[in-house]
Amino acid sequence: MAKMKIKAKEKDGVVKVKAMFRSLMADKEEAEKKKIEAEYITHIIGKANGKVVFEATTSGFMAENPLIKFSFTGAKKGDELEFTLTDNHGKTKTGKKKIK
Amino acid sequence: MERRKFLGMGLVAAAAILAPMTKLNAVNFREAKPKAWEIEKSVDAIKGMFGDGELKTTDKIKFTAPKLAENGGSIPITLSSDLDIETIALFQDANPRAATVVFSVPEGQKVDYSFRIKMRQTALVTIVAKAKDGTLYTLGKEIDVSIGGCGG
Repeated sequence: MAKMKIKAKEKDGVVKVKAMFRSLMADKEEAEKKKIEAEYITHIIGKANGKVVFEATTSGFMAENPLIKFSFTGAKKGDELEFTLTDNHGKTKTGKKKIK
Repeated sequence: MERRKFLGMGLVAAAAILAPMTKLNAVNFREAKPKAWEIEKSVDAIKGMFGDGELKTTDKIKFTAPKLAENGGSIPITLSSDLDIETIALFQDANPRAATVVFSVPEGQKVDYSFRIKMRQTALVTIVAKAKDGTLYTLGKEIDVSIGGCGG
Protein backbone atom coordinates (compact mmCIF):
# COMPACT_ATOMS: atom_id res chain seq x y z
CA MET A 1 0.00 0.00 0.00
CA ALA A 2 0.78 3.55 0.15
CA LYS A 3 4.19 4.88 0.93
CA MET A 4 4.56 8.21 2.62
CA LYS A 5 6.94 11.11 2.84
CA ILE A 6 6.74 13.40 5.82
CA LYS A 7 8.46 16.69 6.50
CA ALA A 8 7.91 18.52 9.75
CA LYS A 9 9.60 21.67 10.96
CA GLU A 10 9.11 23.58 14.19
CA LYS A 11 9.43 27.35 14.46
CA ASP A 12 8.21 29.50 17.36
CA GLY A 13 6.06 26.70 18.72
CA VAL A 14 4.23 26.07 15.46
CA VAL A 15 5.02 22.88 13.61
CA LYS A 16 4.55 23.02 9.87
CA VAL A 17 3.99 19.69 8.23
CA LYS A 18 4.06 18.59 4.63
CA ALA A 19 3.02 15.04 4.05
CA MET A 20 2.73 13.13 0.84
CA PHE A 21 1.02 9.78 0.65
CA ARG A 22 1.60 7.58 -2.35
CA SER A 23 -1.76 6.33 -3.53
CA LEU A 24 -3.61 6.14 -6.83
CA MET A 25 -6.74 7.54 -5.20
CA ALA A 26 -8.82 5.74 -7.83
CA ASP A 27 -12.52 5.60 -7.06
CA LYS A 28 -14.88 3.03 -8.58
CA GLU A 29 -15.54 4.86 -11.87
CA GLU A 30 -11.94 5.82 -12.45
CA ALA A 31 -10.69 2.35 -11.67
CA GLU A 32 -13.10 0.90 -14.22
CA LYS A 33 -11.82 3.23 -16.91
CA LYS A 34 -8.20 2.43 -16.21
CA LYS A 35 -9.00 -1.25 -15.62
CA ILE A 36 -7.35 -1.35 -12.24
CA GLU A 37 -8.65 -2.10 -8.80
CA ALA A 38 -10.19 0.75 -6.83
CA GLU A 39 -7.69 1.98 -4.30
CA TYR A 40 -7.85 5.08 -2.20
CA ILE A 41 -7.06 6.30 1.27
CA THR A 42 -10.13 6.69 3.43
CA HIS A 43 -8.71 7.92 6.69
CA ILE A 44 -5.55 9.72 7.78
CA ILE A 45 -4.64 10.36 11.37
CA GLY A 46 -1.57 12.18 12.63
CA LYS A 47 -0.30 12.03 16.19
CA ALA A 48 2.47 13.79 18.07
CA ASN A 49 3.32 12.77 21.64
CA GLY A 50 0.27 10.51 21.65
CA LYS A 51 -2.06 13.43 20.95
CA VAL A 52 -4.10 13.67 17.77
CA VAL A 53 -2.96 16.70 15.78
CA PHE A 54 -4.44 15.92 12.39
CA GLU A 55 -7.38 13.91 11.21
CA ALA A 56 -9.06 13.62 7.87
CA THR A 57 -11.55 11.29 6.28
CA THR A 58 -10.96 11.30 2.54
CA SER A 59 -12.60 9.91 -0.57
CA GLY A 60 -11.30 8.94 -4.00
CA PHE A 61 -11.77 12.49 -5.21
CA MET A 62 -8.63 13.76 -3.64
CA ALA A 63 -5.93 14.11 -6.26
CA GLU A 64 -3.52 11.28 -6.93
CA ASN A 65 -0.69 11.05 -4.39
CA PRO A 66 -2.36 13.43 -1.94
CA LEU A 67 -0.08 16.13 -0.64
CA ILE A 68 -1.36 17.71 2.53
CA LYS A 69 0.07 20.73 4.27
CA PHE A 70 -1.00 21.79 7.72
CA SER A 71 0.37 23.28 10.89
CA PHE A 72 -0.21 22.56 14.55
CA THR A 73 0.96 23.65 17.98
CA GLY A 74 1.97 21.66 21.03
CA ALA A 75 5.08 19.83 19.92
CA LYS A 76 8.75 20.69 19.80
CA LYS A 77 11.95 19.73 18.00
CA GLY A 78 12.84 16.08 18.30
CA ASP A 79 9.30 14.92 19.01
CA GLU A 80 7.99 12.17 16.86
CA LEU A 81 5.13 12.62 14.42
CA GLU A 82 3.23 9.51 13.48
CA PHE A 83 0.74 9.03 10.65
CA THR A 84 -1.66 6.15 10.25
CA LEU A 85 -3.41 5.56 6.94
CA THR A 86 -6.40 3.37 6.28
CA ASP A 87 -7.38 2.44 2.72
CA ASN A 88 -10.64 1.25 1.19
CA HIS A 89 -9.65 -2.38 1.75
CA GLY A 90 -9.20 -1.72 5.45
CA LYS A 91 -5.43 -2.03 5.36
CA THR A 92 -3.46 0.30 7.57
CA LYS A 93 0.04 1.69 7.37
CA THR A 94 2.01 3.81 9.79
CA GLY A 95 4.91 6.14 9.21
CA LYS A 96 7.03 8.10 11.67
CA LYS A 97 9.20 11.13 11.39
CA LYS A 98 11.06 13.30 13.87
CA ILE A 99 10.18 16.98 13.94
CA LYS A 100 13.11 19.14 12.87
CA MET B 1 2.55 -8.45 46.31
CA GLU B 2 -1.15 -8.07 46.90
CA ARG B 3 -0.80 -4.32 46.97
CA ARG B 4 1.14 -4.34 43.73
CA LYS B 5 -1.59 -6.33 42.01
CA PHE B 6 -4.21 -3.97 43.34
CA LEU B 7 -2.35 -0.95 41.98
CA GLY B 8 -1.94 -2.62 38.63
CA MET B 9 -5.66 -3.29 38.45
CA GLY B 10 -6.34 0.34 39.26
CA LEU B 11 -4.13 1.44 36.41
CA VAL B 12 -5.90 -0.85 33.97
CA ALA B 13 -9.26 0.47 35.12
CA ALA B 14 -8.09 4.07 34.74
CA ALA B 15 -6.79 3.34 31.26
CA ALA B 16 -10.10 1.75 30.34
CA ILE B 17 -11.97 4.85 31.46
CA LEU B 18 -9.57 7.21 29.73
CA ALA B 19 -9.45 5.32 26.45
CA PRO B 20 -12.97 6.18 25.23
CA MET B 21 -12.44 9.80 26.21
CA THR B 22 -9.43 10.19 23.96
CA LYS B 23 -11.33 8.30 21.29
CA LEU B 24 -13.99 11.01 21.25
CA ASN B 25 -11.65 13.24 19.35
CA ALA B 26 -11.06 10.74 16.61
CA VAL B 27 -14.06 10.27 14.37
CA ASN B 28 -13.77 8.24 11.25
CA PHE B 29 -16.54 9.83 9.21
CA ARG B 30 -16.63 6.94 6.80
CA GLU B 31 -17.62 4.62 9.62
CA ALA B 32 -19.82 7.12 11.43
CA LYS B 33 -21.76 8.34 8.38
CA PRO B 34 -21.32 5.75 5.64
CA LYS B 35 -24.41 6.85 3.71
CA ALA B 36 -23.34 10.46 3.34
CA TRP B 37 -20.34 9.37 1.26
CA GLU B 38 -22.53 7.83 -1.44
CA ILE B 39 -24.72 10.87 -2.17
CA GLU B 40 -24.35 12.61 -5.50
CA LYS B 41 -25.58 16.13 -4.78
CA SER B 42 -23.71 18.42 -2.42
CA VAL B 43 -26.87 19.73 -0.77
CA ASP B 44 -28.05 16.27 0.22
CA ALA B 45 -24.58 15.14 1.22
CA ILE B 46 -24.24 18.11 3.56
CA LYS B 47 -27.57 17.19 5.16
CA GLY B 48 -26.41 13.61 5.52
CA MET B 49 -23.14 14.63 7.12
CA PHE B 50 -24.15 17.55 9.33
CA GLY B 51 -27.90 17.20 9.76
CA ASP B 52 -30.65 19.68 8.94
CA GLY B 53 -29.15 22.65 10.77
CA GLU B 54 -29.24 26.15 9.34
CA LEU B 55 -26.21 27.06 7.25
CA LYS B 56 -24.73 30.51 7.80
CA THR B 57 -22.62 32.08 5.12
CA THR B 58 -19.38 33.44 6.47
CA ASP B 59 -16.27 35.28 5.36
CA LYS B 60 -14.28 34.25 8.43
CA ILE B 61 -13.05 31.14 6.68
CA LYS B 62 -10.44 31.70 4.02
CA PHE B 63 -10.90 29.43 1.07
CA THR B 64 -8.42 29.73 -1.76
CA ALA B 65 -8.85 27.94 -5.03
CA PRO B 66 -8.01 28.82 -8.61
CA LYS B 67 -10.81 30.37 -10.67
CA LEU B 68 -9.78 28.36 -13.67
CA ALA B 69 -8.16 25.00 -13.17
CA GLU B 70 -6.19 23.82 -16.15
CA ASN B 71 -5.87 20.30 -14.88
CA GLY B 72 -8.95 18.88 -13.21
CA GLY B 73 -6.86 16.05 -11.82
CA SER B 74 -5.12 18.24 -9.33
CA ILE B 75 -6.74 21.41 -8.05
CA PRO B 76 -4.97 23.07 -5.13
CA ILE B 77 -7.25 24.14 -2.29
CA THR B 78 -6.30 26.04 0.85
CA LEU B 79 -8.51 26.41 3.90
CA SER B 80 -7.71 28.53 6.90
CA SER B 81 -9.68 30.12 9.72
CA ASP B 82 -9.29 31.50 13.22
CA LEU B 83 -12.73 30.31 14.33
CA ASP B 84 -13.06 27.46 16.80
CA ILE B 85 -13.99 24.79 14.33
CA GLU B 86 -14.63 21.17 15.09
CA THR B 87 -15.15 19.74 11.64
CA ILE B 88 -14.60 21.17 8.20
CA ALA B 89 -15.64 19.43 5.01
CA LEU B 90 -15.45 19.94 1.28
CA PHE B 91 -18.19 18.96 -1.16
CA GLN B 92 -18.37 19.31 -4.95
CA ASP B 93 -20.92 18.57 -7.64
CA ALA B 94 -18.47 17.50 -10.31
CA ASN B 95 -17.95 13.87 -9.38
CA PRO B 96 -20.24 10.86 -8.93
CA ARG B 97 -20.19 11.40 -5.17
CA ALA B 98 -20.16 14.79 -3.51
CA ALA B 99 -18.21 14.30 -0.30
CA THR B 100 -14.52 14.77 -0.89
CA VAL B 101 -12.79 15.29 2.40
CA VAL B 102 -13.73 15.85 6.02
CA PHE B 103 -11.16 17.19 8.45
CA SER B 104 -11.77 16.75 12.16
CA VAL B 105 -9.88 19.56 13.81
CA PRO B 106 -8.28 18.33 17.04
CA GLU B 107 -8.84 20.22 20.28
CA GLY B 108 -6.83 23.44 20.45
CA GLN B 109 -5.72 23.43 16.82
CA LYS B 110 -6.64 25.92 14.14
CA VAL B 111 -7.82 25.25 10.62
CA ASP B 112 -4.90 25.50 8.22
CA TYR B 113 -4.94 22.90 5.49
CA SER B 114 -3.84 22.72 1.89
CA PHE B 115 -4.51 19.77 -0.32
CA ARG B 116 -5.52 18.88 -3.87
CA ILE B 117 -8.72 17.51 -5.28
CA LYS B 118 -9.99 16.05 -8.53
CA MET B 119 -12.92 17.45 -10.48
CA ARG B 120 -14.45 16.10 -13.65
CA GLN B 121 -16.11 19.29 -14.81
CA THR B 122 -16.86 22.87 -13.87
CA ALA B 123 -18.88 22.88 -10.69
CA LEU B 124 -19.58 24.55 -7.40
CA VAL B 125 -17.35 23.64 -4.48
CA THR B 126 -18.91 24.03 -1.05
CA ILE B 127 -17.13 24.22 2.26
CA VAL B 128 -19.11 23.45 5.41
CA ALA B 129 -17.62 23.97 8.83
CA LYS B 130 -19.10 23.05 12.17
CA ALA B 131 -18.00 25.31 15.01
CA LYS B 132 -17.50 24.10 18.59
CA ASP B 133 -20.81 25.71 19.58
CA GLY B 134 -22.66 23.78 16.88
CA THR B 135 -23.12 26.61 14.37
CA LEU B 136 -22.76 25.55 10.76
CA TYR B 137 -20.85 27.87 8.48
CA THR B 138 -20.73 27.59 4.76
CA LEU B 139 -19.13 29.19 1.74
CA GLY B 140 -18.82 28.19 -1.86
CA LYS B 141 -16.96 28.95 -5.01
CA GLU B 142 -17.30 27.87 -8.59
CA ILE B 143 -14.19 26.40 -10.14
CA ASP B 144 -13.83 26.21 -13.92
CA VAL B 145 -12.19 23.04 -15.09
CA SER B 146 -10.85 22.82 -18.61
CA ILE B 147 -9.75 19.20 -18.66
CA GLY B 148 -11.62 16.50 -16.77
CA GLY B 149 -9.91 15.01 -13.77
CA CYS B 150 -11.16 11.48 -13.35
CA GLY B 151 -8.98 9.82 -15.92
CA GLY B 152 -11.10 11.24 -18.76
